Amino acid sequence: MTAVQDPPVAVPVAAPDVRDDVGVGVPRGRWFAALLRGRGLVGTVFVGVVVLAGLLAPVLAPYSPLQQIPGANLLPPDAAHWLGTDEVNRDVLSRVLYGTRVDLLVLVTAVPLGAVTGSLVGLLSSLSTASDVVAQRVFDILLAFPVLILGIALAAVAGPGLTTVILVIALAEIPIYGRLLRGAALRVREMPYVEAATVVGAGRWWVLRRHVLPNAIEPVGVQVTVSLAVAVFVEGAMSFIGIGIRPPDPSLGSIIADSVTALDANPGLALGPLAVVTALVLGFLLMAQALAAGRRT
Amino acid sequence: MLRYVASRLPSALVVLVVASILIFGLLRLVPGDPATTLAGPDASPEALGAIRSALGLDRPVWEQYLHWLGSLFTGDLGRSYLIGGSIADLVLGGLLNTVVLATAAVLLAVVIALVVGVGAVLTRSRWVDALVTGANTVALALPTFVSGVLLVLVFAVALPILPSGGVPPLGFAARPDITAQYLVLPAICLGLPVAGSITRFLVESLRTELAQPYVLTARALGVPRRRIVLFQALPAALPSMLTALGIQVGSVLGGAVLVEAIFTWPGLGSLVEQGISRRDYPVVQVLLLLSVAVFVLVQLLTDVAHAALDPRIRIGGSV
Repeated sequence: MTAVQDPPVAVPVAAPDVRDDVGVGVPRGRWFAALLRGRGLVGTVFVGVVVLAGLLAPVLAPYSPLQQIPGANLLPPDAAHWLGTDEVNRDVLSRVLYGTRVDLLVLVTAVPLGAVTGSLVGLLSSLSTASDVVAQRVFDILLAFPVLILGIALAAVAGPGLTTVILVIALAEIPIYGRLLRGAALRVREMPYVEAATVVGAGRWWVLRRHVLPNAIEPVGVQVTVSLAVAVFVEGAMSFIGIGIRPPDPSLGSIIADSVTALDANPGLALGPLAVVTALVLGFLLMAQALAAGRRT
Repeated sequence: MLRYVASRLPSALVVLVVASILIFGLLRLVPGDPATTLAGPDASPEALGAIRSALGLDRPVWEQYLHWLGSLFTGDLGRSYLIGGSIADLVLGGLLNTVVLATAAVLLAVVIALVVGVGAVLTRSRWVDALVTGANTVALALPTFVSGVLLVLVFAVALPILPSGGVPPLGFAARPDITAQYLVLPAICLGLPVAGSITRFLVESLRTELAQPYVLTARALGVPRRRIVLFQALPAALPSMLTALGIQVGSVLGGAVLVEAIFTWPGLGSLVEQGISRRDYPVVQVLLLLSVAVFVLVQLLTDVAHAALDPRIRIGGSV
C-alpha cells in the first residue's frame, strides 16, 4: 500500500471544469482519464492483469482445471506447479486461471443485468407518483434482504449454481440503481433549465432522455465499478459456503473453499486464489475512487 | 418523537409482512416434499399421508402460512425434520453464539473507528491521513472470506498462537481469557470491514463539523483545538457514525454466515448452512425471517436514534 500512497500530492491538478447549465456535464473523455492516472491507474492495472489472465486461460494454463495429475497430491508451489496442487491432485494455477473466467462471466452478465433493469425501473417509475410509490416499496423489500441472505434464500429454492449467483447479484443491484436514477430524476426536475424546457413544451420523455440520463451517467459509472467489486465478493462468498459454483467446477470462491480444508497440510494453496480475489476487488474499488474523485474536481 | 416513530412504523411493518410471505411462498416452491424426504423412498401412501397431515401439509397454503406466523409469536416453532430437536432451541442456541460474536465485532469496530478517526483529525498529518485512507480501502477491499483465511493462516497455522476455530469448550463465561482467544480472530474478521466503513464516515463528518462557524467562534475565544474536536465536534459527528453503523447491519448479518463457516463458530450462520445442505426448510425459513426482521428493526432503531440525537430530522417530518 505504501507504494501506492507514495506521492502525497496525488490529487490531480486538472483545470477546473466549466459545468455549463445545459445538462451535458464534464466531457466524457476527460472524466474516464481518471482511470489512467494515480490510484485509478493502479486499479486499472490490477483489473487488467486479472482480466487478461482469465481471457488467456486456455493458452496460459499448463493443465486442464479438472485434470487429476498422478502422484501430485498437495504439492507445495514449485517450478512445475506454480501454485501447488490440491487434495485431488489438480494443478491450482490452472484452476485459478479457469476460475477467473467463471468470475468474469458472472461480472459481465450480472452487473449489466442489474444496472440496466434497476436504472430503467427507477427512471420509468419516477414518471408518475403511483408507480414511484410502488417501486420504492419494492426496493425497500429487496433491500431488507442482505445480499448473502438473499443468496441463501434463492439457493434454497433454485438450487446452487452459476445462474443463482448471477440472479442474486442482479437482484441485489436493482434497488441501488433504481434509487440512484430516481434521485437524479427528482433532482434534475427542479433545475431551472428543466423548468424552462417544460415551459417551452418539452415532454417528460424528452426531459428524461436529454437531461436526466446525461446527469446520471457519472454516478452510474462510479456505481458500476463498485458493483463489479461487490459481484466478485458475492460470487466468492456464495461459492465459499457452498451455495454458488459447485465442485468440481472452478471459481475463485470454490477454490478458496477447497484450499481451506487443506490449510494445515498445505498452507500455500490458498495464497494464489486469495491474491486474485484481492486484486480484483481492490482494483475495482480504486477505479471507483478515482472516478468519484474525478467527478468532484 | 412518538409521532416520528409512528410515521416510520407502517412501512417497516409492510416490508416485514411482505418479506414473510415471500420467504414462506418461496420455500413452498422448492422441488421435493418434506414428507417424502422424511418417510424415505419406500413409504406406503398411507404412511406418507399420515406424515403430511401431522405436518399440516394437507391444509391450504394460506392456512399453513397463518399457522406458521402464529407459531412464530408463541415461540413454538415445531421440530426440525432432519437436524433434530426443537427449532426454538436450535435457534436460541445459535442466536446466543452469533450475538456474542457480532457484539464483539461491532464493539471492536467502534473502538477502532473512534481511536483512528479522532486520531487522524487531531494530528492533521498528511501521512496519517494517507495511512487511514489506505487502511480503510484495504479493510473494505478484503472480502471476509479472504481476511478470515489470511487470519487463520497467520495466527493459527504459521504462528500457532490462537485456535483456528470453534467455541470455548467450557462456555463463554467460565474462563474469560480462553473465551477471548477463541473470539479474537472471528471478531477481527467480522469487524474489520465495519471499522473501515464507519471510520471513513466519522472522519468525514468530523471535518464537516470543524468547518462550521461555531468552531471558528470557539477558536476565537481561545478554546484549544483538541477540546473542540473531543467535546463539540465529536458529539455532533456521532449520529452520522451511528447511521453508518446501522447501514452495516446487513453486511454483519451476511458476514456472520461467512465468518462462522471459516471459524466453525456454531451460530445462526452455521445453522442456516446446515439447514440448506440438509434441505431442512422449516429451520431455513425461520432463520431467513429472523435476519430480515433484525435488519428492518435495526434500520428503524437507527432512524429513531438519529432523530433523537438530531432534532432537525424529527422536526423535518416525514421522509
